Amino acid sequence: MAVAEKAPEKATAPSVEKPHETPAGWEPNVLAFACHYCAFAAADLAGVMRLSYPPNVKIIRLPCTGKLDHIHILRAFERGVDGIFVAG
Amino acid sequence: MIVGQQKPFDEIWGMVKGFKKVLVYGCNTCVAISHAGGGKEAEILASMIRMKATQEGVDMLVDNAAIERHCEPEFFEPLMEKVRTYDLVLSTACGVGVNFLSDRIGDIPVYPGVNTSFYGAVPKAGFFVELCGGCGNCILHLTGGICPVVRCSKSLMNGPCGGTDKGKCEVSKEIDCAWYLIVERMKKLGKLEELFSIQPPRNWATGTHGGPRRLVYEHIMELEEEKKAGK
Amino acid sequence: MKSGSNLEKVIASGKPAVTAELGPPMSADPHEVVEKAHKLKGFCDAANITDCQTAVVRISSIAAAYIALREGLEPVMQMTCRDRNRIAMQADLLGAAALGLKNCLCIAGDHQKFSAAGKLKGHPGAKNVYDVDTTQLVGIMKKMRDESLQEGGDKIDVPPKFFIGASWTPMGDPMDFRPYNLKKKVDAGADFIQTQGIYDVELFKSQMEKARNLGLHERTAILGGIIVPRSAMMLKYMDSSVAGVTVPKALIDRMNKAKEAAGDDKKKMRELQEAEGLKITVELIHQILEIPGVKGVHIQAIEWESAMEGIVKAAGLYPRPQV
Repeated sequence: MAVAEKAPEKATAPSVEKPHETPAGWEPNVLAFACHYCAFAAADLAGVMRLSYPPNVKIIRLPCTGKLDHIHILRAFERGVDGIFVAG
Repeated sequence: MIVGQQKPFDEIWGMVKGFKKVLVYGCNTCVAISHAGGGKEAEILASMIRMKATQEGVDMLVDNAAIERHCEPEFFEPLMEKVRTYDLVLSTACGVGVNFLSDRIGDIPVYPGVNTSFYGAVPKAGFFVELCGGCGNCILHLTGGICPVVRCSKSLMNGPCGGTDKGKCEVSKEIDCAWYLIVERMKKLGKLEELFSIQPPRNWATGTHGGPRRLVYEHIMELEEEKKAGK
Repeated sequence: MKSGSNLEKVIASGKPAVTAELGPPMSADPHEVVEKAHKLKGFCDAANITDCQTAVVRISSIAAAYIALREGLEPVMQMTCRDRNRIAMQADLLGAAALGLKNCLCIAGDHQKFSAAGKLKGHPGAKNVYDVDTTQLVGIMKKMRDESLQEGGDKIDVPPKFFIGASWTPMGDPMDFRPYNLKKKVDAGADFIQTQGIYDVELFKSQMEKARNLGLHERTAILGGIIVPRSAMMLKYMDSSVAGVTVPKALIDRMNKAKEAAGDDKKKMRELQEAEGLKITVELIHQILEIPGVKGVHIQAIEWESAMEGIVKAAGLYPRPQV
């Protein structure tokens, strides 16, 4: 190909977030997407071992984290989730 | 294909914020390949608008949909009734799609979510280059398959200007000099001497300079008419 | 005589021709053109009036050329393909001829993005035209002059009689195509050629040899371009950043030596470099005029018009022939 090898213009994702103050005692609401075969199994094992983790983390099991899509993350944010944790 | 780039989000928000019911409408052909306006991008954009609306305290319903092509009525007719229930269609199709849907709907605004950039190719993932200007009067057989109309910053027809530097264009070091490429290509093809004859002033009327263009195949139109008449 | 211009006559006389350059100001004040015209008058056969050079808005080349003509300096009106379509070009050519202008140099023009190499705002968002290119513009001008026809075919009652020029960048990429690029302009009807600035005389010699082999030196008058160097910095900039210009290291070294000889004295630093620049210019003039097929020199003393007198006298090209 006889064209320049470097992209001339970089497309950057726009930010929709406005920075704001964090209220005292605020805890983030975190959603974890976990792979059925590893991370979710680990969480399961933690439960069996009666290990506790903070209640503001909710786990969603995926057959594989490869199933995770942009829109799953965006939908979570739309519904007020503060952070996403992907493990697999 | 047609390459597009999503408009800056602030510009899009400025367009849509006054509407109550918005459909972000993607096109799954060209602009999907350039990651600007396919079903996926429409879905993401709709989500971003919803989040922005929540943050700004604006009450707004934002849905998304996509069809295979916005440039032929067969593809969007089945969804037309649903589309008509919105106050605004934010189309992420190319400009052709925005115009075409606008003409068809008539009484609902259709706004562009994408800047239609150029006719280009994808030499590698994530990289798009302009290779044709749609001038309506192709001369690629004279220039080794490299278009001077659109790949030369000055659309020169008879050879390079004085601005070529180390094979690059004076406009930017990122741009290859089309005439440098043409000369090198013609050498490889053993046809350099074909560049020695003067190309006369062009007829630009076949391009956008002749007014809006149309192409009519009467035999196809007649066939369609006959089909409709049940012959 | 095709146009009867002074430049045409000097070239026809067989004596080496000298052209200079006059850049119109970014202002509606005609005095700068008048002053520059007086500095150049008598020291060249004609002076190029640039057409919004470096893609920056200035007094139009036709208006400035007319002011120069009024002051007794023969102008070479430049016309770029950037800003006019063939309708405006031909209208301007009729107008320019009606005002008494007789020389016109066709050039592509710096791209609108150039904006004086970024030193000025310019108009990088402007729409360019490039309806025709340099070769085609030369052809249009010739058709108007010799056939009394517009490009579109309509008849012209009184045709504009221009001595038609074109630019040539002999040392630009792709270098082996450049002689043929020149041939196309000559085939189209270029009566004279002004080249991009030459510092690498050996390289220019080899390009001239190729042009001679094509017989071009007999069909057009090639004037070798010389950009008068003022400082080592300018030479380095031109070597690295100006397309089609290479400056031999020996010349840059000479300029550096002149600069260093001044020690810390800024004023002296400038004076010594300028003196060396003038010396280099005169040497280049002699070397270029010696090359077979070269019919003259195009000396560009950019924003330093007062230098022309000294250069022309030192080069033994004064007084200019009365033809």
